[in-house]
Amino acid sequence: MGDEPVMATNDDASDCKRGAVQLGYWSDDYISYFVKHVERRAPEINRGYYARVKGIENFIQKFINKAGSSAQILNFGSGFDTLYWKLKDEGIQISNYVEIDFPSVTARKCYMIKRNKQLLERIHDQDGEVKLSATDLHAGNYHCIGVDIRNIHQLEDKLYQAEVNFNRPTLFIAECVLVYIENECVNRLLSWISSKFKSGLFVNYEMCNMNDTFGDVMLGNLKARGCTLAGIAHCKNLDTQKARFINNGWLGSSAWDMVQVYYAISPSERHRIEKIEFLDEQELLIQLFQHYCICIGWLSTEFSEFSCTDI
Amino acid sequence: MCDSSDLDRQIEQLKRCEIIKEGEVKALCAKAREILVEESNVQRVDSPVTVCGDIHGQFYDLKELFKVGGDVPETNYLFMGDFVDRGFYSVETFLLLLALKVRYPDRITLIRGNHESRQITQVYGFYDECLRKYGSITVWRYCTEIFDYLSLSAIIDGKIFCVHGGLSPSIQTLDQIRVIDRKQEVPHDGPMCDLLWSDPEDTQGWGVSPRGAGYLFGSDVVAQCGNVAAILELNEHLQRDFTILKQHLRRPGGYPQRNRRQITSCNMKLVDYFICYA
Repeated sequence: MGDEPVMATNDDASDCKRGAVQLGYWSDDYISYFVKHVERRAPEINRGYYARVKGIENFIQKFINKAGSSAQILNFGSGFDTLYWKLKDEGIQISNYVEIDFPSVTARKCYMIKRNKQLLERIHDQDGEVKLSATDLHAGNYHCIGVDIRNIHQLEDKLYQAEVNFNRPTLFIAECVLVYIENECVNRLLSWISSKFKSGLFVNYEMCNMNDTFGDVMLGNLKARGCTLAGIAHCKNLDTQKARFINNGWLGSSAWDMVQVYYAISPSERHRIEKIEFLDEQELLIQLFQHYCICIGWLSTEFSEFSCTDI
Repeated sequence: MCDSSDLDRQIEQLKRCEIIKEGEVKALCAKAREILVEESNVQRVDSPVTVCGDIHGQFYDLKELFKVGGDVPETNYLFMGDFVDRGFYSVETFLLLLALKVRYPDRITLIRGNHESRQITQVYGFYDECLRKYGSITVWRYCTEIFDYLSLSAIIDGKIFCVHGGLSPSIQTLDQIRVIDRKQEVPHDGPMCDLLWSDPEDTQGWGVSPRGAGYLFGSDVVAQCGNVAAILELNEHLQRDFTILKQHLRRPGGYPQRNRRQITSCNMKLVDYFICYA
C-alpha cells in the first residue's frame, strides 16, 4: 500500500483543526493560510482536537521553560502545523525548529509559505536568506525538510542540512505519525535518536487501548481509506506506549490517556469551550478520549519531571 | 389538506419505511401544527400509557417497539423526544410518528427532545438526511418548524412528570413550565433549554453540565419538592430497568433541609415520579 493515504491524514487533521479554530476552540492566526476548506465536524471531534492541541502545548511550554533559548524542536510528520509561527508571535526564543514530513507534503507547505507574505516574513530574518528547493526550505532557524523518516541515513543528512545540533536539548513531536510506520522502523528511529542526541524529550500523541470494539472499528475505517496502522502493536495500552521508549534506549517514559489530559485543563477554560457547541453524548467523547494518549519519553533527567497537570 | 384516507395511505407507506412526497409533508405538518398548537407545555396524559425514549432515526427499532407494545391507536403512547438524528431513517421515523399524531391525536403524545432543533440536526444527521432524500432542505424546514410546536413535557395521571432532559434551577412549579412560550428554536440557556438538556447525576445540588447546555442535578434537587426521580431503561434484550434515584441528606422528618419560602413555592410536590430520558 502506498503512503498517499497516510499523507492525506494531514489534510484531514488540518481541516479539523481549521474548523475548530474557526469556532473559537483555540486561536491560530496562521492555519487559514494552509487550509482554505472548512467543514463542520461533530462537537466530539472538535473537543478531541482541542484536548490534543492543549495537551501537546503543555509539554512544549514546559520543555521550553526548562531548556531555555538553546531549545531545538524537531516536528515529525509536521504536516501543516503552525507551531513555529505561534512561538514567533509569542516572542519565544529557540535555537532551531525543524519540520519533517514526506517530500510531497513539505513541497506543498514550502509552496504555501513562499506564496504567503505573512508566513514568509515571520521565518525571514532581516538579512538572512531563504534557501528553497522543491521540497525543502531553510530560513534562519526555521527548516522544513522532506524526507522519509524510515530512512535514517537520509534523515541524518537532512538534519545536518537543517543545522541540527545534536548536543542541544531537543524536543521531538509526533502526532499520529509513528502508528503508521512499521515497528522495526520506529524502533530504529527511536534508538537512533537516543544514541545521537544528548538530551531531549519526545512528545507522542496517538491511539491507545486499541484492543476493543472501538479499536476494531477505527482500524476498519482507516483500512477503508487505505491506511494500515503498521505500528498499532505499540498502541495496545499506555504501558506498551511507554515500553517503546524504554526498549529503545530512552531514560524514562510517562503516558496519560486523553481523559486525564482533558480533565487536567483548567476548569474555567474547559467550561469556556464546552459552551461553544453543545455535546449530545458525553459518553462518546469520553470513549474517544480513552482511545488516545500522550506519551512522553526523556533522554536526560532534567526532562523527567514533566507531568500532565495544570494545563 | 389531506383527508383521512390519504392520511391512512401515507401511514401505510411510512410504515414500509418509504418517504412521502414533499407536498404531502407540507400538508401533514400544517395539520399537525393545528393540533400541537393547542397542547400544553405540560401535556396531560392518562394511563395506561406506554412511554418511549429516544428513537433517533432507528426506524426498525420503532417498528419493533410497535410489535412489542401494540399499534396506535390500540396502545396509548408517549414519545419523549429525540425522534431524529444519528439513525438512517430520521425522516421516515418522524413523519410516521407525526402522521399517527394527526390521525389519532388522543392516542399518541410527542414531546420535544434536544435533537428537535435546527442547530443540533445540522450536526447530527437529520439535515443531511433530508437533503439526501429530497434533494433540498424544504422538508427539513417543514419538520423543524413543527419541532417548535412540540410540547416540552407531559404529566401522566397528574402524578408522573415526564421530560426529555431534566429539571431547571429556574423552574420550581409546573405552572412556571406552563407559561413558557415554547414556539421557538431551543434556546442556549434558560428554563426551556434546561428541560431538554439537563441530566440527573449521582451527586447533590446543581452542577455545570459538560454538555454545554442544561444542568446536572442531584437527587436532593428532585426530593426538594417531595418527588422521586426515576430513569426507565430498556436494554437490547428488552429487559426493563427502572432506576429510582436515591435520596440523600434527608432530615429525620423526612424532608430535605429547606426554608419556608422554598416550601411554599414547591407545587411540583404533586408529582410522585419524575421520569427523564437523557
